[in-house]
Amino acid sequence: MTNALQPNSNHEFEVQDIMINMGPQHPATHGVFRMVLAVDGEIVRDLIPHIGYMHRGAEKLSETMDFRQGIGFMDRTEYLAQFNAELAYVMAVEKLMDIEVPERAQWIRMILCELNRLSSHFMFTGAFGADAGVFGTSFIYAFRWREEILDLFEEITGDRLMYAYFRPGGLAWEVTDNFVERVHQVLALSRQGIKDVDGLVTNNEIFKARTQGVGVLTKEQAIDWGTTGPVLRASGVAMDVRRDEPYLFYDQVEFDIPVGQNGDVYDRWCLRIEEMRQSVRIVEQCLTKLQPGPIQPERMPRMLRTPPGEVYIRTEAPRGEFGIYMVSKGGNRPHRLKVRSSCFANLQSLRDMSIGQYVADAVLALGSMDIVLCEVDR
Amino acid sequence: MTTEGAAPERTLSGTIWSEVDRALSGITASAERAVLDVIVSIPRDEVVRGLKALKADEALAFDYLRCLTCVDNEAEGMDVVYHLYSTTKRHNVTVKVHLDANDLFVDTATTVWRAANWYEREAAEMFGVRFRGHPDPRTLLMPEDMTDTFPLRKDHPLAEIEVLQGEGIAWGVEE
Amino acid sequence: MSTLFGLPVALDALIRVLIIVGVMTVVVMGLIYIERKVLARFQQRLGPTRTGPMGLLQSVADALKLVAKEDVRPTNADPWVFELAPFLVFVPTFLGFVVVPFALAWSVRDLDLGLFYILAVSSVNIIGWVMAGWASDNRYAMLGALRAVAQSISYELPLVMALIAVAMVADSLNISEIVRGQAVVPNIVWQPLPFLMFFICMLAEMNRPPFDIPVGESEVVGGPYVEYSGIRWSMFFLAEYASMFIMALLGAAVFLGGSAWPLGEQLGLPWQILLTVVKAGAIIFVVIWTRASFPRLRIDQLMSFSWKLLLPVSFAQIMVNGLILVYDLPYGMSHTLLAVCSAAGVLFVASAINRSVTRPRPRPVLISRSEAAR
Repeated sequence: MTNALQPNSNHEFEVQDIMINMGPQHPATHGVFRMVLAVDGEIVRDLIPHIGYMHRGAEKLSETMDFRQGIGFMDRTEYLAQFNAELAYVMAVEKLMDIEVPERAQWIRMILCELNRLSSHFMFTGAFGADAGVFGTSFIYAFRWREEILDLFEEITGDRLMYAYFRPGGLAWEVTDNFVERVHQVLALSRQGIKDVDGLVTNNEIFKARTQGVGVLTKEQAIDWGTTGPVLRASGVAMDVRRDEPYLFYDQVEFDIPVGQNGDVYDRWCLRIEEMRQSVRIVEQCLTKLQPGPIQPERMPRMLRTPPGEVYIRTEAPRGEFGIYMVSKGGNRPHRLKVRSSCFANLQSLRDMSIGQYVADAVLALGSMDIVLCEVDR
Repeated sequence: MTTEGAAPERTLSGTIWSEVDRALSGITASAERAVLDVIVSIPRDEVVRGLKALKADEALAFDYLRCLTCVDNEAEGMDVVYHLYSTTKRHNVTVKVHLDANDLFVDTATTVWRAANWYEREAAEMFGVRFRGHPDPRTLLMPEDMTDTFPLRKDHPLAEIEVLQGEGIAWGVEE
Repeated sequence: MSTLFGLPVALDALIRVLIIVGVMTVVVMGLIYIERKVLARFQQRLGPTRTGPMGLLQSVADALKLVAKEDVRPTNADPWVFELAPFLVFVPTFLGFVVVPFALAWSVRDLDLGLFYILAVSSVNIIGWVMAGWASDNRYAMLGALRAVAQSISYELPLVMALIAVAMVADSLNISEIVRGQAVVPNIVWQPLPFLMFFICMLAEMNRPPFDIPVGESEVVGGPYVEYSGIRWSMFFLAEYASMFIMALLGAAVFLGGSAWPLGEQLGLPWQILLTVVKAGAIIFVVIWTRASFPRLRIDQLMSFSWKLLLPVSFAQIMVNGLILVYDLPYGMSHTLLAVCSAAGVLFVASAINRSVTRPRPRPVLISRSEAAR
């Protein structure tokens, strides 16, 4: 496998590829990410991603924080799917300590995680539309609907973006009194928003021309590179943690998993739009099953101490499988916390997706993976 | 219900261990049951052979590498942990390789799954484990010139943290 | 050649030049403000609201800021080429202003070869872009300049052909005569296909979305203009808006009836000016609408659209026009034939675009959660 960029030389003329450096400051690279492209005219011959600009030592820091302090850090690791990240962390603690979470807390967790998926996918539709060129319009359309969801989160947790709301055993505090009505309201607005964003972009001929057949990842490549989430499902692999290894109460609700057949950027877009619709469906079912009850088990120790052991918890975050591998040697802090971030795995496949395509396509392929650099670098 | 102290007893019967044992015939492997998965320990010299066998076996078909990382056990050496999954059969297993503290190297798994590439780069720069045969052993998250510090090792210090007080959550300068 | 108030020719020319510069500057600043406001409304936001009443002084504020900026030049930039490039983009656009009619007798110069002149002059800015991209000593600028040149040249030809088709029908290259000939029916009724092509090529010539890949904000940031700052950059910017204004006026004059339809001659000067402004404004509105709605085309798609679709269709249109006009058919019959053929051309182009992207492909499959669960 080639590591160094290899500009090629032709025999008749001295032809050399241009090295283009995109990033770390660049409007298209979704965060602090750098890719070096070797281009021949407009065709990409080689691509090397450079990450690590946002490395903050999350895993090392987590070893010094006890099991309640670490929750806030998970928010900052995956700042668009915060509830999923928190959920993985607290589930790891619960599994190690064998804590049983009350039903009401589980249902509310499920509702919040799916709403988080909605807001994260709204962000994707906005940002990806901006990548494709519909610069302001798709961004603002999508963000307007996302704000409704964030308003609801602010009412419940007090924070727009960094919630720190889940606790091992359940939730930090009870939700607001009008929770169910508010969620219904948000769902109605989200349905409208999905229609808006879908109508603006999905059937647009120029968008189709830009995204169909671009950034193709075959099924074998996708599995071999360990990709996950919509990137993997667009390539034809029906893998979704919510279905294969259900957590919370995903085995008690009905939903569909969209699986693409072409593995290109257009499929990933359509998949995410469909996943948004399915999230709305899941939340509706959860709301019907929500009953009053406690949100924390009756006797929770003040200082959480886990027995020695290890666990690998996987959840389906909006970007794919978000895994927490926690090793505990007893005590009130993890001995080792490994965050298996979905974008880290997906980003490895960027090179295979982009070689042989145009520079503009490489930008779209990167956008379609919907990376969050904080997650990649931790 | 919290359990403080020893983990509850779990048996290996009915788990995937029987299939794994059969697939790893010829390799001395042992297993234990963790909270969710089965952990299979393979000696260091036979790792790649074992992983390839696990991938190629038809009943197991571990074609997906979920995660690859290291755990620093200080005096007892390090463990390299592989989490495997099968997209067709939908089962998973954890493979552990024990490395002694004074010879930290193991063969690369990139020949089995390409996904191991970045995971091994990160484990190498964070723990100082050398993955023999890795096609691209540059640093991933660390700066290119900092190849002699291994931050995630337990003897690598964390910066000074202020002393917080109240609620029993107080700790001093981290060593 | 009549001069203003009987002044000597040189003084008259100077006054006309000053009129051009004055009017264009004000108009361009107004256009920038209008675009920001209209685009904002499309995107569900407000646009400038604070500088002056309703944000009207925003362009003035921007102009002052740009003028006061430090003039940065890259060390390795070729000095002469770098300095001259903005002029080569800026001046030809203003030259096009000479022939555009505002009212039936109101254009700076009424040239017999008006259409030819404006097309010739508006293609000089290609050289300006190449100079800007090369002299900037920057890979992004070079990429952007190459893309801009390729795009510009590709879309010149259908533009010229479309306007020739209309000139054939109107039997003159003099823009004022073309306007006068539309006193009863505007040309768009007889020739919708050239109007469509004119509109598309106009967007491409001005590097406006969906053809703004040279200045693709999310890729080659700024394209050939990336190393320019301050006044020089504002010259590029003004040139883009000036050409938008001029092309809109041209389109209104040649296709929409300009100041002559409806009832231009009868109702006098104010009505004619109003007609011109409204029609040009409508075209500008649709241009801004297009910007808010469409993603960007990739460079190869853009070029193949021009060479493989627009150009052959424009040739076909010219041949059909010639075929119909060569027989001295009565006015009603010949023009109806022209309209029918042209409308058929529009339908053909629309269906070709649609078919090229709607290839049958397997759609995503929805797998139920409970299916094949263990």
